[in-house]
Amino acid sequence: MISDVFIPAVSSLGAVALALGLIIHFVSKKFHVEEDPTVKLVNGILPGVNCGACGFPSCGQFAEVLVETRNSTMTCPVGGADLAAKLGEALGMTMAEPKPQLAVLLCQGNNDVARQTAEYLGIQDCWAATQAFAGPKQCRYSCIGLGSCIAWCDFGAMRLENGLIVIDKDLCTGCAACIPACPTGVLVMQDKKASRYFIACNSRDRGAATKKACDAGCTACQKCVKVCEDNAIVIEEFLARIVQDKCTACGKCIEVCPTKVNCIRLENDLKAVKQKQAS
Amino acid sequence: MNTFRTGGIHPPESKLTGNSPIEVMPLPSELAIPLSQHLGKPAKPVVKMNDEVKKGQLIGEADGFISANVHASTSGKIKAIKPHPHPGGQYAMTVFITPDGKDEWAEGLECAPADWKRLSKQEILRKIKDAGVVGMGGAGFPTNVKLSPPPDKKIDTLILNGAECEPFLTADHRLMVESPEDIVTGLEIMASLFDGPLKIAIGIESNKQDAIETLQRYALPKQIDVVSLKTKYPQGAEKQLINAITGRIVGEGELPFDKGCIVQNIGTAVAVCEAVCRNRPLIERVVTVSGMEITRKKNITVRIGTSFSDIIAFCGNMSDKTNQVISGGPMMGKAVFSLDVPVVKTTSGILFINNLALGKSMERTCIRCGRCVEVCPQGLAPWLLANVAQLRHFDEIQTLGLANCTECGSCTYVCPSRRELVHWIKYAKALVANRQKRKSA
Repeated sequence: MISDVFIPAVSSLGAVALALGLIIHFVSKKFHVEEDPTVKLVNGILPGVNCGACGFPSCGQFAEVLVETRNSTMTCPVGGADLAAKLGEALGMTMAEPKPQLAVLLCQGNNDVARQTAEYLGIQDCWAATQAFAGPKQCRYSCIGLGSCIAWCDFGAMRLENGLIVIDKDLCTGCAACIPACPTGVLVMQDKKASRYFIACNSRDRGAATKKACDAGCTACQKCVKVCEDNAIVIEEFLARIVQDKCTACGKCIEVCPTKVNCIRLENDLKAVKQKQAS
Repeated sequence: MNTFRTGGIHPPESKLTGNSPIEVMPLPSELAIPLSQHLGKPAKPVVKMNDEVKKGQLIGEADGFISANVHASTSGKIKAIKPHPHPGGQYAMTVFITPDGKDEWAEGLECAPADWKRLSKQEILRKIKDAGVVGMGGAGFPTNVKLSPPPDKKIDTLILNGAECEPFLTADHRLMVESPEDIVTGLEIMASLFDGPLKIAIGIESNKQDAIETLQRYALPKQIDVVSLKTKYPQGAEKQLINAITGRIVGEGELPFDKGCIVQNIGTAVAVCEAVCRNRPLIERVVTVSGMEITRKKNITVRIGTSFSDIIAFCGNMSDKTNQVISGGPMMGKAVFSLDVPVVKTTSGILFINNLALGKSMERTCIRCGRCVEVCPQGLAPWLLANVAQLRHFDEIQTLGLANCTECGSCTYVCPSRRELVHWIKYAKALVANRQKRKSA
């Protein structure tokens, strides 16, 4: 009884499968595309996270274009110098060294120092909050502090602490995926350097308005400009900015900055700031 | 009874101030007049600090085609021009005036009513533009632009929107009861701008019987239809009102004039009448002050630029339990983030709400009950839009009719899982716009 059904079913399906298998085999032989083995090799070297920092949608595409054009200026910002050396070895040429970058937050307005306007009860996302109002903090240039960028970071380098985003600079690869995630534009990319300073404030308000909104805001008092021997600090739109090429990281500006939580941040050594806070 | 075809809800009407006559609020001690009270580009300031201005004097000039003039609401001195909280949620350039108490009209504005019938169409349109009249229902589209559709669009229906379907709001209702002559004159002026046969209708929801009767007395002799509409939200949305009165459907990406219609608000009709007959710019409007948490609920005429805190002082006190102050209606209005925000041309109401019990956003997952689909007046699937927005699939979401959502809030109102559907849709719209901006840059 069962064999009446079973045998024809298995044999007919088996015949169909065999026929299709043969067709697939012949098609794959006939239309075989010769793939450059170096593409596979290069693709294996690349990090494979498809973050898009190089300007290509995926690591695979980057590898294809690189092998085809042999353009030595193409770099993978995530991999850094090590990866550039490996790529050069694989391709038999010297690759340009990538300029490693880092995402930095130009805001220090955590919940202790930034004053709030109204409590936000809606969807906990920065973009959703900006649909309702300028953000829960009084300063409209500040980090909104609801962490939209966390979800956009492929490397888990961002976390939320006391109403402010903290970027883990060891995990940040400089892919810049977080930049479009920020509605206030308070996240920016900067060159990764051994030691450097930047002004961790984004407020374009006049000094008095900035001071009213936040204890950690740059009030454009000019003190750092006067003390800087390298003329590396300029003030634009009531906000100081350090010209990275000129800055020698002498640290004099930190000593004169009058705001309660120092706005000028030293990337490698935060000791000076902490000392000042303690005193 | 007429109504729109798809969707709609019936929230509690809560028209607490329907029978309170409009009171005039005295001048506050300071006015903060934003230069952006309309859709389009903000006006360019034409005054400086410490200038003396007269009531009705131009302080901000329309900058571009879609923009509107802004005028001083009283006579006084310009104290400052700086960014200030705006009921729209952002900070906007605002002109601060310290009133001198004389409340003197600028020259040429205090004149006898003119006979508008002797004016040409261009003169009428220029007067409306000069007076800074914008749509007073909420969007604030410049009225002169709306009244000059492209020449290839034939307009055959002019609709006046007296639906006022939002709960609590009664500003238009009281205007219809108290100044029907101005409304009908304003409507006649707007109708005179169009050639050919024109059907003129005033749509009013049936919960405002007194307004229907009053307007019928004034409108019927002038061949203006007064249409009684079933009480249903969002009857007062432009596309839904057109559907309710003419049966036409304004599709995706279409504007009312594509279907031969123009819709104007009751407050706008009064402002047009004031501008054309009395030469007066738009410097005050009727605002409903309501909600459970304010002692004296009323309809008041306030000067543009009066801060919410001054209005609270005039209307008694707001209770300690107030945790939201909403500018506009409860369905589409926005909670303000500061009580310093001023009344602008589009502020139809100020509501004092206590929803502490609701607490922080308590969204749960969608249970696919389909109630949001049932009530969506635009025939969309709000749950799907919200889900796709949450996943940040912004290419896909545009194929689901994202641009067609009017953000009426019906879906959020009925959702049993308390999902913030409209908020997610607004979020998606913002990110889609941001992406397009980045692409074109």
